[in-house]
Amino acid sequence: MRYLKIIFSLILINLLDKEIAGITSAYFIIFPLTFLSYSFYVYKSNSNIGSSEAFFIGLFIDLISDSFLGLNAIFFCLITYLINIYANAFKLFSYLQICIFFGLSSSAYVGLSQMIINIWNFSYVTLFMSTILNITLCILMAILSAYLPNFVKRRL
Amino acid sequence: MARISPTRGQKLIFVLYILLGVGILYLDITSNNFQSVKNGFKSFKISTYYFLNQITIEQIKHLSERSKSKKFLINENEMLKEALDLSYLNNYLIAKENNFYKDYEIIKYAAKSNNYQPSYKIAQLRSFDPNIFNCCDRHRMFVEVISDNNENFNEFMVFNASGIIGQIIHTNKYSEVLLLTDISHYIPIKSSTNDFFCNAQGSGRSEIIICKYNPLVESQEIIAGHIFYTSGLGGIYPKDIEIGKVDKVMKIDSTTVELEIKLSANPIASDLFGVIQY
Repeated sequence: MRYLKIIFSLILINLLDKEIAGITSAYFIIFPLTFLSYSFYVYKSNSNIGSSEAFFIGLFIDLISDSFLGLNAIFFCLITYLINIYANAFKLFSYLQICIFFGLSSSAYVGLSQMIINIWNFSYVTLFMSTILNITLCILMAILSAYLPNFVKRRL
Repeated sequence: MARISPTRGQKLIFVLYILLGVGILYLDITSNNFQSVKNGFKSFKISTYYFLNQITIEQIKHLSERSKSKKFLINENEMLKEALDLSYLNNYLIAKENNFYKDYEIIKYAAKSNNYQPSYKIAQLRSFDPNIFNCCDRHRMFVEVISDNNENFNEFMVFNASGIIGQIIHTNKYSEVLLLTDISHYIPIKSSTNDFFCNAQGSGRSEIIICKYNPLVESQEIIAGHIFYTSGLGGIYPKDIEIGKVDKVMKIDSTTVELEIKLSANPIASDLFGVIQY
């Protein structure tokens, strides 16, 4: 049941991701909502997420998003590994540090995935703009979490 | 609750999964080993979408139409739209004064030839992701070729009312169309004067294909606005059909000039296509 919930949520988030990409691509911005949502799910989880779960969720995302098989599987494994490693250290981090971590990891995702799926038209402008926007959005979420604790009940 | 840091064994499994992912990614990029899995999933996805659409949104639409007593008019309108689209496709193939052929007389010769088969199949658009079309290197679409037989449509040319848009590369329940702008697609083209030939590659950008040549070898100078036609040398597309105009001429270095050709045909102009083999 838990996995069905995750899969259903990922399908919906992926659809939303595609819709957002249609709008933001005109402004050289890529906002990897699926990747960030998955990272957030791993971060908020009470126990470590296994490598198999990360790999197969990544493969499923590859299938539904029509990208090369293995692309998201690799990134999802990597981010799961990083978050598992730093899970306890995150508690000592400030909001800003956590925001920068997630913003930069999503930028790395954008850069590396663009190098594979869009190498012919790789754009540093897109990478730069996406980095700025992703970090800003993470900070905005942190501010929301800090100043409106009733709205966002748990710490980002 | 505190989370336990991964043990050495768990780290090793992560590394193994990442290596497995890299292997799958490499195989997918360099070969078509996973194409059948992807196509199967795509067919399932499209069928599910249409099934759900039919039992939910379409039902609501029909209910609304019935209540307004306009169903008959709407159906008639849809039929007329389809007939109009079909007539556009027919015009593309048979009109004597259309803008697509380099030689307007070519259709007369073709009609006299015994090889000429004017009949073509109609295909309906089933799946096309405009976001990927506008952003990434892979430009594909899925169409359903309306046919009673289980024919193989691989290497059939696909066109719409505005011109050639690509070729079919995989036939399943739905056929996968490789668009001219996909970076793995090459089309042999020639200039209007018949003395400049090149293989134009898809650029990964909408409506643009790229032709590179060596100016030291080619004597003819190509300028912006120059019209290019299919040369027919690839065996997939017929010759002398207009492909597009040169949009930009860029000198990369002393031995390479790159031509950006803006295509005449837009794949999102219509959801009805013609499929034909020459």
